[in-house]
Amino acid sequence: MWGPRSSRTLVIGTALAVFVIVCLLPVVYMLTLTVTTAAGQQSGFGALLLDARQRELLVNSAMLGAATAIVATLIGVPLGVALARIPLRRKAVVRLALAAPVLLPPYVAGLAWIYLGGSRGLIAAVAGRDLLSEWTYSLPGAVIVLSLVLYPLSMLATEVAMRRIDGRLEEAALLVAAPGRVLRRITLPLAAPSILAAALVIFVLAVSEFGVPALLRVRVYTSEVFTAFAALYDFGRATLLALPLLLLSLVVAASAGALAGDRLLVTRRGAGGRPLLLEAWRRPAATAVILVVAIALVIPLLVLGREALGVRSFADVVGGSREAIINSLVFAATGATAVAGLAVWIGYARARAPSRLGQLADVLMVVLFALPSTVVGVGLIGLWNRSGPLGAVYGTDVMILLAYLARLVPVAALALAASVRLVPVSQEEAAAVSGAGWFRTMTHIVFPQIRLGLLAAWTVAFILAFGELGATILVAPPGEATLPIRIYTIIANTPSSQVAALALLQTAVILAPLAVLGLAVSLRESG
Amino acid sequence: MSGAFLHVAGVTKRYGSRPVVDRVSLEVASGEALVILGPSGCGKTTLLRLVAGLDVPDEGEIGLDGRQVARAGHSLVPPYDRRIGFVFQDLALWPHLTVRGNLAFVMGSVGLAKAAGEERIRDVLALVRIDGLANRYPHQLSGGEQQRAALARTLVGQPRLLLLDEPFSSLDPDLRQALRTEFAALQRTLALTTLYVTHDREDARVLADRIVVMRAGRIDAVTARDAAIE
Repeated sequence: MWGPRSSRTLVIGTALAVFVIVCLLPVVYMLTLTVTTAAGQQSGFGALLLDARQRELLVNSAMLGAATAIVATLIGVPLGVALARIPLRRKAVVRLALAAPVLLPPYVAGLAWIYLGGSRGLIAAVAGRDLLSEWTYSLPGAVIVLSLVLYPLSMLATEVAMRRIDGRLEEAALLVAAPGRVLRRITLPLAAPSILAAALVIFVLAVSEFGVPALLRVRVYTSEVFTAFAALYDFGRATLLALPLLLLSLVVAASAGALAGDRLLVTRRGAGGRPLLLEAWRRPAATAVILVVAIALVIPLLVLGREALGVRSFADVVGGSREAIINSLVFAATGATAVAGLAVWIGYARARAPSRLGQLADVLMVVLFALPSTVVGVGLIGLWNRSGPLGAVYGTDVMILLAYLARLVPVAALALAASVRLVPVSQEEAAAVSGAGWFRTMTHIVFPQIRLGLLAAWTVAFILAFGELGATILVAPPGEATLPIRIYTIIANTPSSQVAALALLQTAVILAPLAVLGLAVSLRESG
Repeated sequence: MSGAFLHVAGVTKRYGSRPVVDRVSLEVASGEALVILGPSGCGKTTLLRLVAGLDVPDEGEIGLDGRQVARAGHSLVPPYDRRIGFVFQDLALWPHLTVRGNLAFVMGSVGLAKAAGEERIRDVLALVRIDGLANRYPHQLSGGEQQRAALARTLVGQPRLLLLDEPFSSLDPDLRQALRTEFAALQRTLALTTLYVTHDREDARVLADRIVVMRAGRIDAVTARDAAIE
């Protein structure tokens, strides 16, 4: 079926070529450019990267990544244990509520944090004086905000890893040890590689984050790359500054991919036995769930809501940003469709690849997903901003779609590969033996079985594209704004009530499908 | 409650409405090796799980050494307080721990001083003849060595009752025969009270003092070894 003229070779080959151009080339271009720029520096490459200013950037970025990974893991692991092993009521709804913060654009959480602890925030208003603003605009502040947005990754990784553990391993331990000791010595160590991989991914995402450090005035590499490019128009400096970030992302994401190994794809649970149940911990777990949902979701939304109450007319605010809102919806929907359309073939190729090659592909996907958004943006500009046919694309809306594809195809392909792997190869072989061509096999046998995975990939791509800021703010054509760009650019010179109203609107668009899903799950659970 | 070491009286376990174990009663005397012989799906493994405390009976009661440990709908003594050893069909060796680590986890629950615990681990590894493999991980062992490691892990806690769920079923015939004979000798030397489930008549012939034949969740016959095989 892989013959030179087969439809499979044609489709997968084309998809891989597009993937290379859209996702890989900008990164390769960035790396090449960095090396060339460094060679041309009179002061030397090392001097540029390691003067006092750069050392501060390095320390801040590393501290932000490490502290966020630690705090998010400390929040996420107990919640993952609770979801996997404690019989909670309405667990599906609880899981959705706990996972919701990761779908919010981080800068929305950052805004809520400012409206809570800033010099004119809620706490200052209640206390009658400014208590927390110095702390709000600080590295620890950024760590707290990012931890509250990213802990669901650790939580979900822990839950999935624990569900995959063969129940007999825990039963064998339960014959000689109490549940708490079994959890500490058997269950958690078995889940540790996944937990560690999630921590590394959180580290990379925190280091790559642009919006929150920029809002909270924390100097890190991502904001510095943006400043060098967008404010100082120094493309060479921007690429050089991107190098440490690029290397950091490469090393950490490759470690995460290698650690997780096939765990990135294998989604079936362990074979036999009954998993450990920690019924006695039900009450403390329920309390922890309520606390985390309140702090990470409810309070930020209430704070934004309170701030937005100051607008004279919500309709005016929406009307003033109507173009950005429509742009965002159209771009996100088109982008999600393009992402899912490309990722499904890449995911299929990954799922059917030989084991070693597949693992390498996983590492590559994680690395690409972990690339800082501003680095992706600068890479795209460098690649497409030139004369000739490539230049025809630059300066058009296509650049925004290219940014979405570069950022989101790797993660969507990983998710879809997991779906495809659940369809046994023998089913495709049976269809082929029955006389069906590969394309017909895909449309009639494989796609119907992965339709839920496709829908999930589209939805996640839509949500992430709808909140994307770091790459789009760099590549969007002049005068063309999405909602995140609009919010980011009006923060400095627009009443906070209007900014909060727009942030709420954006949150509503993201959380509305989740709320509907939660309602449907809740009805099914109670029915 | 009777004077038998293990006492199972009228125990029923249902999955949904279907009884998997149906009003089973049996007794095992101290030091006795009782083999439950029956085809796949007849409820043998579920019966072991009920005795171990990993499942709770829907009806009936279970007693260990004169003490009631489970009754209808209730586990009165948790598995880790029953002092039962269980060799699972797939062995369930903890893959992130070495052979010594597997045994040390069990010893950690016994409450023995560290030096004495180390000594017992060494003794048991020597007993099952894998003392040179203490620092290997389960995936570094052959099938037979894994069986020995699983048995060592069970014996090191000095259980009052040993449950075995077809532990030799995945081995090739020669190795299976060798290990079976070796285990039978060990069982008699240590006078272990043993409940062993299998669908293999040869297992039953070599290992049993007494044989219970089980079919469709019920006990079909309880008999002396030779009569049951015939």
